[in-house]
Amino acid sequence: MTKLLPPRSLVAVVPLLLVGAPASAHTGAVAGGFLGGFAHPLLGPDHVIAMVAVGLWGALLGAPAIWLLPIAFPLIMTFGGVLGIIGLPIPAVETGIAASAAVLGLMVALKARPPLWIAVALVGIFAVFHGHAHGAELPVGADAAAFSIGFVVATGLLHLSGVTFGLLARWPAGGIAVRAAGGAIAVAGILFLIRWQ
Amino acid sequence: MIAAAALAWLLITAAPASAHDVVPGVGGSLGGLLHPVLVPAHALALTALGLLVAQQAPRHRMGLLAAFAASLGAGILVIVSAFAVADAQYAVLGVAAAAGLAVALARPLLAPVAALVGLFGGVAVELDSAPEEISMQRTFLSLVGTAVGALLVVVLVAGLAIHLRRGWQRIGVRIVGSWIAASAILVLALRLAR
Repeated sequence: MTKLLPPRSLVAVVPLLLVGAPASAHTGAVAGGFLGGFAHPLLGPDHVIAMVAVGLWGALLGAPAIWLLPIAFPLIMTFGGVLGIIGLPIPAVETGIAASAAVLGLMVALKARPPLWIAVALVGIFAVFHGHAHGAELPVGADAAAFSIGFVVATGLLHLSGVTFGLLARWPAGGIAVRAAGGAIAVAGILFLIRWQ
Repeated sequence: MIAAAALAWLLITAAPASAHDVVPGVGGSLGGLLHPVLVPAHALALTALGLLVAQQAPRHRMGLLAAFAASLGAGILVIVSAFAVADAQYAVLGVAAAAGLAVALARPLLAPVAALVGLFGGVAVELDSAPEEISMQRTFLSLVGTAVGALLVVVLVAGLAIHLRRGWQRIGVRIVGSWIAASAILVLALRLAR
């Protein structure tokens, strides 16, 4: 039988095996961070319907709300996110998120047209709740920058999908479909609210 | 036997190599060139700076780019002079947040303010890209690579964004600015808090 390894070399090999660390490419953390962040808003159905409702309402309100809401929302959401990161509690965050779906869905269903500042204030208040939930759950292990980019982009794309669907309201049948979607979002929001009580 | 034991002792006590290479094994000028693209915080700051350049009045764009390029050079000089700055990542994220906010607001900045953002951005990116190299030559090559990469990103983004002239395209640029600012502020808060 061929002697593959002299016994003395085991003295060197065993410590090598003991101290060997797993390969940890920086790029993996970035990719994992981005995908984790991107999936984060998509995995919460209450987040998803509320974000789509923001886009639908913006499209129904028309300019300048159609672009002001998607620009303002991430920035206001950041304020809530910072509160979550530093651990400053906001009461009833999950209730606030569910309420955002119910109220914004209702606004779309009723085709409500309040003054712009009221619409921005309403969306802004709810953005703080959404931001707080995201901020409190930001992972330390994954690449934080990639995670933040991922979830901000996903949130923005949900707004844009709402805006795109909301543009159907230019046609009568599309308008009915958009308002029906708003109604469905409101009902789902109310169900989430009941769950959190 | 003594040599094997000595080797084992060396292996046990040796600290792992911790180079700042973004792509393991790719250092030098190529590693430096890729650094601004592969480090998310840098990509955020440089994209925001590129969009900011595009939003400025045409007569101010070249000045802003020149200020940025000069500050990249200044950053190299600072590092090769063995002047180390800890936590330059905060400055990079601050530049991303400020430039992103300015893009989202879409108000042309006063030329000195825009130049200040560009100057601060270049130095911050270089200081946060210092490689953990022993060789001065490799350090210099890596930093030059970073400067070229950073300038390319800003020029390319600005060049693309200048051609986005339709109303909805400009709104898209502002939305990207707000996303960048939001991401940068969140990461800044996370790193400062934990």
